[in-house]
Amino acid sequence: MNRRNIIKLGATILALGISANALMGSVQAQDAPTEITMLTMGNKPTNGRLEAMLEKLNARLLEQANAKLDLFYIEWADWQTQYNVQLLSGDDNVDLIATATDWLFAWENAEKGAFLPLSEEMLKANAPKTWAQVDAKGHWDLTKLNGEIFFAPEDNYTQYTNHGFFYRGDWATEAGFENGEITKFEDFTKYFEWVKATKPDAYPWDIAGANEAALTGYLQGHTDLQTLQQVTAGNYFPFQTSEADPYTVTSWYMQGDELLAAAELAKKWNDIGVWREDALNYDGDTREEFYAALTGVEQHHTQTYLTQIVDNMNTKQPGSDPRFFWFGKENGNFFKDIFTHGAMAVSANSKNPEKALQVYDLIRNDKENYMLFNFGIEGTDYIVTADGKLGFPEGYDSSTDGLGTNYWWGRMDEFELPKTSDAPNKAEIIAALDAQAKDYPYSTLIVSKAAIDPTLAAISGVLSEYIPQLQYGKFDDPAAAIAEMRQKLADVGFEEARASVQADIDAWATARGLK
Amino acid sequence: MAAKVPVERRKPLLRQLADSKILLLMCVPAIVFFIVFNYAPLPGAWIAFTNFNYRDGIFGSPFVGFKNFEFLIKSGQLWLLTRNTILYNLAFIIFGNILQIAIAVMLNEIRSTFFKKISQAAMFLPFFISAVLVGVIAFNLLNYDTGAINALIKQTGGDPIKIYSVAGIWPLIIIMVHLWQSTGYGSIVYFAAIMGIDRSLYEAAAIDGASAWQRIRYVTLPSLKPTFIILVLFSLGSIMHGNFGLFWNLVGNNAALFKTTDIIETSVYRMVLTQNNFTTSTAVGLYQSLFGFALVMTANWIVRRINKDYALF
Repeated sequence: MNRRNIIKLGATILALGISANALMGSVQAQDAPTEITMLTMGNKPTNGRLEAMLEKLNARLLEQANAKLDLFYIEWADWQTQYNVQLLSGDDNVDLIATATDWLFAWENAEKGAFLPLSEEMLKANAPKTWAQVDAKGHWDLTKLNGEIFFAPEDNYTQYTNHGFFYRGDWATEAGFENGEITKFEDFTKYFEWVKATKPDAYPWDIAGANEAALTGYLQGHTDLQTLQQVTAGNYFPFQTSEADPYTVTSWYMQGDELLAAAELAKKWNDIGVWREDALNYDGDTREEFYAALTGVEQHHTQTYLTQIVDNMNTKQPGSDPRFFWFGKENGNFFKDIFTHGAMAVSANSKNPEKALQVYDLIRNDKENYMLFNFGIEGTDYIVTADGKLGFPEGYDSSTDGLGTNYWWGRMDEFELPKTSDAPNKAEIIAALDAQAKDYPYSTLIVSKAAIDPTLAAISGVLSEYIPQLQYGKFDDPAAAIAEMRQKLADVGFEEARASVQADIDAWATARGLK
Repeated sequence: MAAKVPVERRKPLLRQLADSKILLLMCVPAIVFFIVFNYAPLPGAWIAFTNFNYRDGIFGSPFVGFKNFEFLIKSGQLWLLTRNTILYNLAFIIFGNILQIAIAVMLNEIRSTFFKKISQAAMFLPFFISAVLVGVIAFNLLNYDTGAINALIKQTGGDPIKIYSVAGIWPLIIIMVHLWQSTGYGSIVYFAAIMGIDRSLYEAAAIDGASAWQRIRYVTLPSLKPTFIILVLFSLGSIMHGNFGLFWNLVGNNAALFKTTDIIETSVYRMVLTQNNFTTSTAVGLYQSLFGFALVMTANWIVRRINKDYALF
């Protein structure tokens, strides 16, 4: 063999070796499972139950879609900022993003390009069951911005998250309410006075930090104004329409005398000593205080009442007869949950958007996956009782043993079991709410906020100065304070912003033939 | 010194760098730090002039000129925030330095080493307490219903004070807490400067019959002047930057106190936290930096006119 041939042979062997390697490599790449990361909300659990569940779930996902799922948590401390900054960072390690239009800035982030627009073909090919189920209800329209779908709605799960007061039926009875039932917002004055006089250890209503329920609770029950959930100025919702005139934008902060009436009631409550003098700087856990009979009222929504309050109160304060007064109970002025109170988006930076959709479809629609992801491993994380209810194994402590997947982005009624911890009067409460609640009429309305963002920031600045003080009755002269606030709001361009939202509503109503 | 001094000739730059390799190496962490955290992000200030969205990125988002700055003026906050931030910092600088010098001088006069160490440590310790804890301690001292101060007042038959509703008291509280935290730490710099004063000056003063007070007045204080001026210049540079941790933890979201306690940092933080508004907050940050920059340049220029050696550059 001459030298040239030897070189040729060597080169051939080398080439073969390289291409074989490359071939093997590509075969391996095809076989390697795709890792999908889901961004969710909550504190990452550390009890090992999540990992144990994921091991089981991933074995199934591997088989069904050659994929593995991992969770990325936005923890509760400072969650609004953390969530938005995480989306802003464009991290390509996150594939699925939990979102919501009313509390997780879904529209803002879709507008800013954090989410991948999802084409019909893509959804049909990769999330066929989700596509079909949402399509059958005609709900894809609720997730469209400029004609493109941006997330899958949690539209097949019944819950109410309308807010109100939890209070104690036993105390209300003693305070002189028939059957312990409080039916009007201002009647809480009587309840508070009674708590103040007879329960020296308890605050009538202990609140920690900024809250505006004393105002909005009153306004909801005493007007027919309905809040536009699409526009926020900081923590406030500055724009409303009225039921009588649903296509004219107004504001309860700017118009009418009801705000003053609410502020005067709040001042009365402050003078009684309903909350701590320094409520704004207090940051205790008032839910736990309610369980310990240290506060007469706790404020949150129906779902919390049905799944936590009743069960905890019945165990920790037997005989306390926990009740729920929802805001707008007087006049039926409250909404059913919108279908995008929870939703799932795909990150614009995801390297495997198709696979991400496949995984979501499998979690949302495969019962075994669903049970694993939502409730964990049967026997260790949950049990099914003889009467078909979901309960917990003996020795299970919900405060330390929680699974913590916090999957609120695509729950399905048909896979949910009634829970042993559910309120016994759940059906009754839901029926009462169903009888009164209105459908939110503006689900498909998109408000373009880009133009009014700086104005909303300025409005937020003014409201965050005045509303907490009005809520806690801290102004000696609420009428003067409200006048001052309205002047300031006008100065920063409130009317401009209102007119801009009005233009969006006009266009929307005209396009739908509503006006 | 040798009798024959060679004529200093300016070495070429590369040679200079090569000669001070080790010194430069020691500077590298600081240089890298400033490049990464202070210079590299500078172009990002462009966000302040855009209607920012993630898809188009910082430089692709539509340009909107000064629209984002409008809110600062519209909301009437600009003047209040600037005033509060500057007044608090002036108070911190003036009272802080006076107290730090006084304490350094007093420490220097203490003869018992043991007592000197103990008091130094005791004053230094608050510096290590996190602002979050300071906030909690303050709430437990000052709150109306259960606070220690009001409990004392009630016990002695007085009427409790609604401290968290009275905006007027808060400048005093904040300045006191700041001084409590920072004086021990700051005095160490002055103490070190005093240690560096030529002892023969004191001996000469003593021989001339100077009393202890005269030695402080005519030797110690004048020798501290350069340190004082440099420290003041440095702090003037950050006069537009508030102590966020302290203010946020003491005041938080208590709107009743904003008039006298809201500074640029806390206002920006609330805005980003609740408004998801990166553009306007960048605008405020940019305003703050430019204003601060102008202040440093002016202060340095003034000092240079007075005494060139004391100027920073």
